[in-house]
Order: sequence, then structure tokens, then C-alpha cells
Amino acid sequence: MSHEVHVPSWPGVVASLALVAVALAIVARARLRITRELLIAVVRAGVQLIAVGALLLAIFRYAGLPGALGWAAIMVLIAGQVAGRRGSGVPRSRVAATAGLAVGGGTTLLALVLLDVIPAQARVVVPVAGMIIGASMQAAGLALRRVRDAVTTGRAAIDARLSLGLTAREAFAPHTRDALHTALLPVIDSTKVVGLITLPGAMTGLILGGVDPLTAIRYQIVVMYMQLAAAAVTAYLTTRLAESALFDEAHRLRT
Amino acid sequence: MGRARAVTFVLEAVGVRRGDTAILEDITATIRSGGCTAIAGPSGAGKSTLLRLLNRMLDPTAGRVLLDGTPLPALDVLALRRRVGLVAQQPTLLTDTVLDDLRVGRPDLTEEEARSLLDTTGLPPAFAERRTADLSGGEAQRVCLARALALRPEVLLLDEPTSALDRASAEAIEGVVSDLRAAGGTAVLVSHDTGQARRLADDVLVLRAGRLEEQGPPGDVGYLRAAASP
Repeated sequence: MSHEVHVPSWPGVVASLALVAVALAIVARARLRITRELLIAVVRAGVQLIAVGALLLAIFRYAGLPGALGWAAIMVLIAGQVAGRRGSGVPRSRVAATAGLAVGGGTTLLALVLLDVIPAQARVVVPVAGMIIGASMQAAGLALRRVRDAVTTGRAAIDARLSLGLTAREAFAPHTRDALHTALLPVIDSTKVVGLITLPGAMTGLILGGVDPLTAIRYQIVVMYMQLAAAAVTAYLTTRLAESALFDEAHRLRT
Repeated sequence: MGRARAVTFVLEAVGVRRGDTAILEDITATIRSGGCTAIAGPSGAGKSTLLRLLNRMLDPTAGRVLLDGTPLPALDVLALRRRVGLVAQQPTLLTDTVLDDLRVGRPDLTEEEARSLLDTTGLPPAFAERRTADLSGGEAQRVCLARALALRPEVLLLDEPTSALDRASAEAIEGVVSDLRAAGGTAVLVSHDTGQARRLADDVLVLRAGRLEEQGPPGDVGYLRAAASP
């Protein structure tokens, strides 16, 4: 990328605040009573992104690859908390989500580097890890929610299977399948319609940066495939860990 | 039908607590093999809890339960649950068709065996093809009974199996218990229906507020006599 990348200057960013004024005018006119929330969102987005930009700059300049991996680890921890909350009621759901994300995200990232699909550089690893963990977090959260629902609505069926001498895993198998199915549908759907309905971030970013579209889509193809893999591994592991936390050693539900 | 093998449950000072609440307290009793033991008593007395101790869907928090002299935790729990079948109060079907449901615990069950099991519970053989979603509560409960019998259990546990059923289904299920008894099999029946306990039981345990109040043959048990008097 030797050519000049055109991005908005700081005065340009300030000028875009005019657009916020439009939104504010509409909110005020319609008396939506969300003026405060809107202003907070505007300020928050600015502050958040400036902070992240500065942090990433520091990582790329001074911390290199170890710093990038540390950043990815923090993303896993945060995503694990968010996804784990979807399964509140399932014992140790946050641990299950965090472990699932760590393994699902870690193996996918490692595979991409080992296969020489992406270079092991901080400025590549951080955004790629972000996309992987984002998709995996959604999958883990959906899986945990289905697992939780299975315990509340499927208890009688689970108990009936256990009473027939089935193992905990066998008794929960229909719910495991359902959780994985639900977890993977969004990422499968977005893989199907990519480019037709959504022009996803990686590709959009490269095109904005001046890369020609046929090159940009190569990146996007890799992004879609890696998100599928990471989401599948994460959802499977998270579900299995949650399942084993649900049952005790005598093959019955703990709660 | 169950193999007519002698199996005896012994409960030694069994207690079940959940938090601060005592659900069962200090129950010492023997559930004899060959015949039907009814667990009677008012609702909330801990009858279903006691039943769930026998196939280890629940463990006591005090005391112990033995099967033929062996404490239950020393037995393989999956094998135990196949020896001690349970029919729950609410019928829960697990698959799309009756035949598939009968095969949940016995994947190798032949269609011939399935038809014979359905016949045992008073359902026509063609029921094997029926969709479980189309069954009435009574039909569903009879399929659940057949599903438990498919494992050829040595003991059959029944938790208020007829409480929500039509008369024909209730009679069919009582018929299965009577036949099991006559063949020397063992059944443990939770029932708040004192008439049913009198009809089916050889021995009755009466629970009240988590404690064993009486045990004996139906004719000697005050709780059943009191209910029978006008």
C-alpha cells in the first residue's frame, strides 16, 4: 500500500459533529427524552475510540507481538464475561465461555499464522483476533442461553432420560445439538449473504484505504471462514463445559 | 415384565434436607421384594422425594439406602437406574413416534417386543406408529410405563402414575401393577389415592411431614382405614 490513504483530518472529525446536531434536533423535536443518552453515546464513542487508538498505537510501536497477544487475551476475558452472562443460572457459565473463547479463538489464530494466511505482526493480529473473538462471543452467548433454557423447560425430559439409565451426556444430547445449532446459525447466515446484504468491516476498511475490491475480498473470505471455525469450536467447547457443570457424578442435574 | 428376582431396599435413618427445610427425617424402613409397597400420605409429606432416593435421582443428606445389602452409591448408578425403572407423575414423551420413545432406553428393541409392551399396557399394537404429539395424557402415560418396562426392570417405581388420567388409562396402569405383583415382581407406588393403595399394595408406608408415621399391610394402616370410613 504505497499510495496515499485518505482519512478524515481532526478538523474533519469535528465537522462531522454537525451531523450529531441533526440527530439532536430530531430527538428534541420529537420529544423522545433521550437527548441525554444520545449526548453520552456521542461523547463515549469519541473517548472510547481515541483511547483504543492510542492504546493500539502504543502496542504496535512498543509492545509488538507479545503486546498484541496480551490484548487478545484481555478481549477473551471481557468476551467471556459478556457471553457467560447469557447463561446465568448455569453453574460456572463464565468459565465455560472464557475457556471456549480462549481455545476457539486461540486455535483459529494459530492456524492462520501457521498456514501463513496472516503474518504474525501486532497490527494484523489485533484486528483479526477482534473479529474472531467477536463472532465467537456471539456464538458462545447464544449457546449458553439455549443451555440455560434447556434446564428450565427441558428438565422433565432430561430426568426421564436419566431415569432410563442414560448418561448425563446422552440425556442432554438433544439440547446440546439445539444449542450448537442456535449458536452457529447467525455466523452461517452472515457467511451466506456476505457482500450481498452486508459489506463487512474488513473489506470496507481495505476499500476505504485504497485497496482494489478484488484484493479486498480475499481478506474478507479469510475473515468469514475463520469466524465460522472459531465460532464452531467455541460454541462446541462452551456447550460441553456448561453441560458437564450442569450434572454431578451420579448423572443428574445439580440444580 | 420384571424378572422375579428378590430385591429389597433398606432405608437406614434416611434424611433429606434442602437448605433449612427437612423434607424427609429419620426414615428407617424396609421395602420388601415381591409385591407392591405403597407410599401414602398427604401431599407435601415427602413421598416423591422418598421414591427418587431409590433410583438415585436424589441422594439422602443423612443415613443411607441399601439394595440387597449394598449401599446404593457403591452400585453403578446407570445400571441401578436400568434395574429400577421409574414412571413419573407427568408423562413426558421424548421423541416423535411411540416406537422411538420405547427405544430411548433400549435402542435394540424389536418392533415385535414394542407391540407386546404396548399390549401389556392395554394399547393396540398399531400404536407403535403413532406420533407422540397426538396422544392423550392417559395414552402418553401408558407409553411411559411401556418405555420403563422395556428395560425389564427388577423394580418398578411409580410416582402418582394415575393422578391426572382418565379412568380407562388408570385401570390399565393398575392392571400392569397387579400383574407384576402376581408374577412376583416388585413395585413401589406413590399415591395419595387411598383406594388405589388398598387395591394394589401388600405393604404401606405412611409419611406425614417428612416422617414415617405407620408401616404395615393396608388393612392394618390407620391412615387408609380413616380414609375408607364414611
